[in-house]
Amino acid sequence: MHDVFRRFRGDHAHERSEVIKTIGWSGDTFYERELGWTASDSYAEVVLAYMDEYPDDLKDDVSAKITEILGEQVQNNPFAQRYGEKVTAEMAMNSRYVVYPFKLLETCVYTEGAGAIIFAVADKARAICKNANNPVIRVTGGVGAANEHNVAGRDDRHKVMHRILSDHLAAKAAYQMAGVTDPLQQIQIVELHDAFIKQLQITMAEMGFVPLGRADDLINDGLMVPGGPVMVNPSGGLTYGGHFVGGSNMFSCWSARRELINKGLQRGLVHGTGSTIAQYGAVMIIERRP
Amino acid sequence: MTEKVIPVHMIPDLESEIIKVHGENYLQSNEAMFTFYKRTKGEFSPYFLSLKERKVILGARCPTCKLVRVPPFLVFCPECNFDPLELVEMPDTGIMNSTPPITYFGHSLFQHQVPFGRGRVMLDGAYTALPIHVYTTKGVLTPRVFKKGTRVKVIFRDKRIGKPTDIFAVPMEEIPEHKREIRGLQESDLDWESPAEPELPASTDEAKKAYESVLTQIGEMTSKVAHSERAQKNLAGWKRRIQVKTSGGSMGLSIEDGKLEVQAGESMTLTS
Repeated sequence: MHDVFRRFRGDHAHERSEVIKTIGWSGDTFYERELGWTASDSYAEVVLAYMDEYPDDLKDDVSAKITEILGEQVQNNPFAQRYGEKVTAEMAMNSRYVVYPFKLLETCVYTEGAGAIIFAVADKARAICKNANNPVIRVTGGVGAANEHNVAGRDDRHKVMHRILSDHLAAKAAYQMAGVTDPLQQIQIVELHDAFIKQLQITMAEMGFVPLGRADDLINDGLMVPGGPVMVNPSGGLTYGGHFVGGSNMFSCWSARRELINKGLQRGLVHGTGSTIAQYGAVMIIERRP
Repeated sequence: MTEKVIPVHMIPDLESEIIKVHGENYLQSNEAMFTFYKRTKGEFSPYFLSLKERKVILGARCPTCKLVRVPPFLVFCPECNFDPLELVEMPDTGIMNSTPPITYFGHSLFQHQVPFGRGRVMLDGAYTALPIHVYTTKGVLTPRVFKKGTRVKVIFRDKRIGKPTDIFAVPMEEIPEHKREIRGLQESDLDWESPAEPELPASTDEAKKAYESVLTQIGEMTSKVAHSERAQKNLAGWKRRIQVKTSGGSMGLSIEDGKLEVQAGESMTLTS
């Protein structure tokens, strides 16, 4: 075990359709790859299954509004890929489908980038932060991580298509470690892996900020609007910040830490998801404590 | 020409170009680095061979818990002390496990095929769902065709090579009744030449105005294409005649020999 370690990751993306293919190559090579599997259509399967289960949730005007809000928040992040871009809810609503039901402006952008995080044991972290004149940010939730089956089935021995149970289980484990019992009351910042806006909404429900089937409450009840109880993706998220696959969640960590320090808040959550049909989920709770 | 593992249209031309970086000219050329390889389907070979040779879908059944997994992605049952699974013949009918997505922006090997649908069919008697392409015989696939629970029949390609694309699902209601019980039904057994036109909503002033605007914009685009070497190169080899009908009006589009033409109305009398 080391007292200090650095996690570094970068990604280099060129021609988009080739990038999408390369990522598709990481899926099931026997039964799905040759059907033209992509991350988009795979997550779309989960979102559509959720919409089958909850037909009154994930309304287009709500996801468009979230897109607009993230577009306003990204103006606070000069490192974002789409810094300076203005997207209104109307523009998001009217953008073309990439993969039904995902629209172009409600989809993250693959990009190039690199990130690094330094983790250290408490005394080393205090020493480093003292030199850097920064407060220590503690990882109190450890990392809750979970994975699901890659084949859809009739019960939870296989993938339950309308759930992102990986996110649910990862959040549950992280909350337990951090002593979080009511995320909406106890977490002020969420940096969420928003591969797609409607998936962001489901993930917020799976992590307990709203009930399943009522993800539209994030907007309708003012939960994640400016001034609401929880700020989601103050960095602009991967939708605006850019998704450099494998390293994007470091970017999310950077943003959550920055917000805790700059806004004097107590607790943040960083989330990551991945693989076919959202099999993998990871959640980390960080806190600003003396 | 035999279909290639890399579609011919994906292979760049042997040519070079000048690019300008910080005011300096640099020569850049198309290059390639490629490796072809063969891979076996291994222990899943019986499934793919069965699709190819017998037009039969196989599942893997556990003799102890009786659970049937389709496709047969396991050979031992993790629920029953790793009992060996036995292959069983499945019906070629089932229901959509959930509403399938439709891909409009595919990856590089599927761009020629968009829009296409890929979903999961729970075959009758199966416990897990089979990933599969979904097609309609009634024209372009739209979100309304397949829903969770839509009853489907699995259709076999006329030419099969032992891949997941050897089969696809079609709504049962599109299969003529006298063919629904036939096993191993092939694509050539279905009528693909009778697309059903979707009903248009009533015309409105707003729709007419939008139509006129789109017609003008496409007209402007055709002029630009006529003066763009790159656009003409991109369209080279295309031959398309497309009739567009909207509640605001109709127009015809033609692409041929690198030319794009547009004409208002329903009877296309385009020069190409």
